[in-house]
Amino acid sequence: MAATDFEWPWQYNFPPFFTIQPVATTKEQQLQSWRNLICDYHKTKRIWEIDTGSDLFNNSAINRHLSPAAIRLILQNLVQEGQGVMSGERCFALWNSVSQWGSLIHSWAADNGLSNTVLTLFEIQSGDETENQPFHGMDIWLLQHVISHLEKEGKAELMLGDNEDFSDAGVKFF
Amino acid sequence: MGGLFSRKKPVSRVTEQDKAVLKLKQTRDKLKQYQKKIMLNQEKERALAKQCLDQGRKDKALRLLKKKKFQDTLLERTDTQLDNLEQLVSDIEFAQVEIQVVNGLKGGNEALDELHKIMSLDDVEKIMGDTEDAIAYQKEIDDMLAGGVGVEQPDDDALLEELGALLGVDEDVGEKLPEVPVSEIDMPEAPSHKLEEEEEEQGNETQERRTLVAS
Repeated sequence: MAATDFEWPWQYNFPPFFTIQPVATTKEQQLQSWRNLICDYHKTKRIWEIDTGSDLFNNSAINRHLSPAAIRLILQNLVQEGQGVMSGERCFALWNSVSQWGSLIHSWAADNGLSNTVLTLFEIQSGDETENQPFHGMDIWLLQHVISHLEKEGKAELMLGDNEDFSDAGVKFF
Repeated sequence: MGGLFSRKKPVSRVTEQDKAVLKLKQTRDKLKQYQKKIMLNQEKERALAKQCLDQGRKDKALRLLKKKKFQDTLLERTDTQLDNLEQLVSDIEFAQVEIQVVNGLKGGNEALDELHKIMSLDDVEKIMGDTEDAIAYQKEIDDMLAGGVGVEQPDDDALLEELGALLGVDEDVGEKLPEVPVSEIDMPEAPSHKLEEEEEEQGNETQERRTLVAS
């Protein structure tokens, strides 16, 4: 997955951005900027899992980084605002909401005549058939999470295998 | 995840065949990954072989190429396995479709049978017969009504006689008329003056025509 060159917003090179602001209104704006930055960054690079060690939270050029506490706060806020989801220690960026992702995947399946057929999660994530789809390369845990959501809507059924990491899971679309 | 009274998990729409198909597809995925690995390996070794050639190490290059050849056969065999798998998967999926078709036909047949029970052949025959009788009956009524209400119909013959009587009067009148004289009579010549004028006009015309022709 070639990382596209990402254009940093002005805040990224603004030192106070890496310190959680005490004033409520400023803090609100700061958190919002962080949410947008995180989503844009991951969307452009097509990476779903947030890596706390990445240069996103660490700007060596201005010698500033977010403290672990700050990162936790920001990620919690991200999840609260529906732009992120956590699984244990892992956090995933949601530039599309879970239900939006669900719609995208379900539409793709319907458009390709795959309703009422069984697919492996692996082939949805990495198959040749999904090469041009926005969800190609999605982390398997997140994919499973999205499909569970579709299951609640009655549009799919998740088929679990023996592996805990969902690597042998499948799905049947309706 | 629901309130206090969360529903039990809804009935699964996944059949045993679906599970079998999933396993087949997972095997297919593994084979494809295996193929990718081999192909990547081949690329690396090809690059390495080229390097060796540049360095003049022909024997190593040859060995690497031999290895690559062997991997080609591996790929071919994997391809065959993949084809078998895909064939089996599509057979299963098609069989599922066929079952649906047969069920559909079955349901259709049953519906048709139910309809036939409601309307048997005997019933239809009876209804058709009743309808014919009713039409005939109606015709009789029509005829009766057309026959008129107590008015005496004069005899056709009497009517003809009267007609003849009327015609006979006309004939008598014809006989009393004087006969038309049949003797030959010299008919005086009809005045030709007018005619001549007309003829003159016509003559002029023809003269003109003649003069035209002459010139």
